[in-house]
Amino acid sequence: MIPQLVTVRWRRRGNRVRRLWIPVVPVALLLSPLLVLAVIGGVVACLLFDMSPLRMLGGIGRVLWTLPGTRFELEMHGTAVFLGIR
Amino acid sequence: MNEQRRQILQMLAENKITADEAERLLAAIEPEESDPAPGARVRAKSSRPKYLRVIANFNDEVDGEFRVNVRVPLRLLRAGVRLTSLIPPRAVVQVNTELAKVGVPFDLGELKPQQLEELVDALDELTVDVDQADMTVKVYCE
Repeated sequence: MIPQLVTVRWRRRGNRVRRLWIPVVPVALLLSPLLVLAVIGGVVACLLFDMSPLRMLGGIGRVLWTLPGTRFELEMHGTAVFLGIR
Repeated sequence: MNEQRRQILQMLAENKITADEAERLLAAIEPEESDPAPGARVRAKSSRPKYLRVIANFNDEVDGEFRVNVRVPLRLLRAGVRLTSLIPPRAVVQVNTELAKVGVPFDLGELKPQQLEELVDALDELTVDVDQADMTVKVYCE
């Protein structure tokens, strides 16, 4: 399943926790013109470096599809960062 | 259900053997049933770990406390590992040359996706547990 929601949470020393929820699909739709340009650039780069664009796109797609469930949490000197992908 | 198991259960139903004997007989035929094919890993799907977990706590007098908690889906590792098969041949040659220069005679071209899959599969059983006064690190699959 593609990622649906990215949650970012951070807290600086002494400050309160701030949260940011990023809905992936709407944001991807909003940025779709840029994504198309990025894909075209990627295909050109693949052709320049003798790589199969289809296999590369498939590989990147597979990585994106397996991202849900990833969590990253870091805390240092009272500063904390959390990144979760659902 | 295979024939041996059926016969044992039949004998139990006919009271020819006791429940304990049936249990022992079933346990005895278990290895034959779960005998995996060479190189293949047999494990119930529900019991397979899904995530690689890394938890680290450092407590330094100068820098203070430092905590890391990472959960990575094993599927993501597999997908990432498969990306290595997309490395262009030119890059493979250059990497091999550089590796050889630093004394690592390793051929990336010999690295097959199937071997990498087996490597990631083997992570299922990985457990690293470091426990020191100022540092604890745990790496395991869940």
